[in-house]
Amino acid sequence: MNVKMRNAAAILVLAAMACPLGLLRAQAPAVESRSVWDGVYTEDQAKRGEPIYRKECAACHGDMLTGGESAPPLTGGAFLANWNGLTMGDLFDRIRKTMPQSVPGRLTRQQDADILAFVLRVNKFPVGKTELYRQSEMLREIRFEATKPAPKK
Amino acid sequence: MREKKSKGLHALLFLFYAGLLCWPAAASAQSHPKDAEWPTYAADLAGTRYRPLDQINASNFSDLEIAWRIKTDNFGDRPEYKLEGTPLMVNGVLYATAGSRRAVIALDPATGELLWIHGEHEGKRGGAAPRQLSGRGLAYWSDGKEERILYVTPGFRLICLDAKTGARIPSFGNNGEVDLKLNDDQDIFPDLVTGEIGIQSAPVVAKDTVIIGAAFREGMTPKSMRNNKGYVRGFDVRTGRRLWIFHTIPKKGEFGYDTWEKGSAEYTGNTGVWTQITVDEQLGLVYLPVESPTSDFYGGHRPGNNLFGETLVCVDLKTGERKWHFQLVHHPLWDMDISSAPILADITVDGKPVKAVAQPSKQGFLYVFDRLTGKPIWPIPERPVEVGNVAGEWYSPTQPIPTKPLAYSRNGVSIDDLIDFTPALRDRAKEIASKYHLGPVYTPPTVSKPDGPLGTLTMGTASGGTNWPGGSYDPETHNVYVYACNSCIEPIGLVPAPKEISDLNYIAGTAGKEVEILKGPGENAGADSPKPPKNRQGSGYVSLNIDGLPLVKPPYGTITAINLDKGEFVWQIAHGETPDVVRNNEALKGLNIPPTGQETYNIGTLVTKTLVIAGEGHVTTTADHPRGAMLRAYDKMTGKEVGAVYMPAPQTGSPMTYLVNGKQYIVVAVSGGPYSGEYIAYTLPSAGE
Repeated sequence: MNVKMRNAAAILVLAAMACPLGLLRAQAPAVESRSVWDGVYTEDQAKRGEPIYRKECAACHGDMLTGGESAPPLTGGAFLANWNGLTMGDLFDRIRKTMPQSVPGRLTRQQDADILAFVLRVNKFPVGKTELYRQSEMLREIRFEATKPAPKK
Repeated sequence: MREKKSKGLHALLFLFYAGLLCWPAAASAQSHPKDAEWPTYAADLAGTRYRPLDQINASNFSDLEIAWRIKTDNFGDRPEYKLEGTPLMVNGVLYATAGSRRAVIALDPATGELLWIHGEHEGKRGGAAPRQLSGRGLAYWSDGKEERILYVTPGFRLICLDAKTGARIPSFGNNGEVDLKLNDDQDIFPDLVTGEIGIQSAPVVAKDTVIIGAAFREGMTPKSMRNNKGYVRGFDVRTGRRLWIFHTIPKKGEFGYDTWEKGSAEYTGNTGVWTQITVDEQLGLVYLPVESPTSDFYGGHRPGNNLFGETLVCVDLKTGERKWHFQLVHHPLWDMDISSAPILADITVDGKPVKAVAQPSKQGFLYVFDRLTGKPIWPIPERPVEVGNVAGEWYSPTQPIPTKPLAYSRNGVSIDDLIDFTPALRDRAKEIASKYHLGPVYTPPTVSKPDGPLGTLTMGTASGGTNWPGGSYDPETHNVYVYACNSCIEPIGLVPAPKEISDLNYIAGTAGKEVEILKGPGENAGADSPKPPKNRQGSGYVSLNIDGLPLVKPPYGTITAINLDKGEFVWQIAHGETPDVVRNNEALKGLNIPPTGQETYNIGTLVTKTLVIAGEGHVTTTADHPRGAMLRAYDKMTGKEVGAVYMPAPQTGSPMTYLVNGKQYIVVAVSGGPYSGEYIAYTLPSAGE
């Protein structure tokens, strides 16, 4: 890379940094090729996640994920609205950093990913052939979209 | 490290001396008319959330800008994402609870500058608390000389602070604290550290008496029919001495004991007052909104009407003695805790002045009583309701149904309520609904069966109608303004409880799912990993929305103005931007859908001289604003929207307002999803801008 290219690259990086993250995502979705509609978890993984959800999460978020007085729902309009336009990395990190409420971070990354797979299944996002990642960086490449995108032409 | 810290008290005091020095000057610059302050959680002890301020009005609401903001991330060992507080503003200082430690902060109300902070490290006791995070707020008291702040920690200790410094008041209780797990006419089991009892609401102080209720874990799948009881107590604000106690589950020999058949009052628990308490200081009366007994959805172990479960109880402020009561739901089976502050209103009915109390509810009824006698202002007759057939259950054949005002939110689910945007969507909704038992309010829960019904589809319960934010009352128009979730449906199914799980006959659950006790926060904190998955017979999870659309028709969330002189609606509007999932839904392309409002349950309102103000509970992204939510203002006479201002996240704590240095401010708590808690203060641009 010559000096000019390096400078150009640096400017691009700086421009990207200056741009608020949410705005960048909203304006440049083409960079992220996958969304929750592309089959980003497996049935087996969701099955693994269900008992963990019931043990670790359901007391506050509800037996049917409909939330309670002390925790928001993990299905339905409010849930979809909260995360629409963000990434699975954002959602995963939220769980990772703050849940379960009593001892945040007590579960393994794999368990968190399995719970998330279960939540996706309850929300009727399509099942795929590969498991949901457990690395935040990789999950950031998967967009959370509340509504199914129109079929690509 | 954490354990070591927890053994001692850590009162964190950051005295900003400059701020303190400025304090008296700022205080004396104004006369502090009470109308300009916000001295209790709900603006006053009457629960009105009303201030007659008018600097911010229809002509300028949309010009509001952020005066200051404060993130609560650092007021605890981790951020919180559900900030529910409403601050106080008294005598030139703003006070709030904040952060996952439920710290108390004092701020300059004009600039947001931190004046002091107080935090309590409670270790395991805090971690095991049934109601964690920052809570809803605190209480202020002054005798004209001394000023005190009172709040309850997650670990259920009442703390009394010097409002000027944030230091504990040594002469109050035991060096500034009263252990609320003691001296409660019961032994909290299993022990003081893990014993389940706490509170998240703000204390109330009236005529030198601090009044504290109690809260527990969610009561859907308790391990036992036995639990600690949620008595209400009054304490001397000067000394912390207990003045009185009201037994929300009567003791033997007390009135109401016989409404617990087979001795069930002895072991049944919960039945606390977890939401805001209201007081009429002039009459010396306290209004207690009581929640459900153990357990929420199965009452076979507590036959009888179960006083004072889901009952509005009026007690004497000085003695705690019961003056009158009205049970809103006999033998509770739907988790219809009385969830918000009773509202005191001096109204005129048929030409006669009436001192009334109005109670919003999850079931969408506004119950209105004479607050001296408890007599309903309009008839509330007993009506027959469906009697279920769950083994061992005891059913009340009737429930009290108000004739006036009419229900202000949907409180049952019928085929007519199902989504009808298109025939295809309606067919899908019918298919989902066919798996459930449907019916009007008070349709009883069913045993869940794999071939149906999976349960009873209900409104109300955890999130329908009006929950803890409650309503507002305008003493000028005699209108109650109240938000309601009109679409927060929830299935209630029961499954037999395996003996190793619970000693109840039934707990909440769905056929086809593995039965497991739902553990609360703080339980099993030391465990490393969950049990390995067990074999199951398929999943009983049925999504209650269709491509993200609610199963029922809009409006999804409403604000209703109800005139208390007449018991009639003045207006009703859908509150909040139509959700993205509706506006952008492929299945709805080409349809003209009026504003739907939003499906959310924790929206509080504020009423001023001219406006009703409430934020949105959903994030949306529209052509008018980036990803975020709007704080909206409505003309209080008509419900017409007159302005809106952008918030970076949904409203999660109810807005409040005050005037300081000649400027009006509105403060609101926002959080949710990826956005951690933040108090934001809005004000108008300074002149010349």
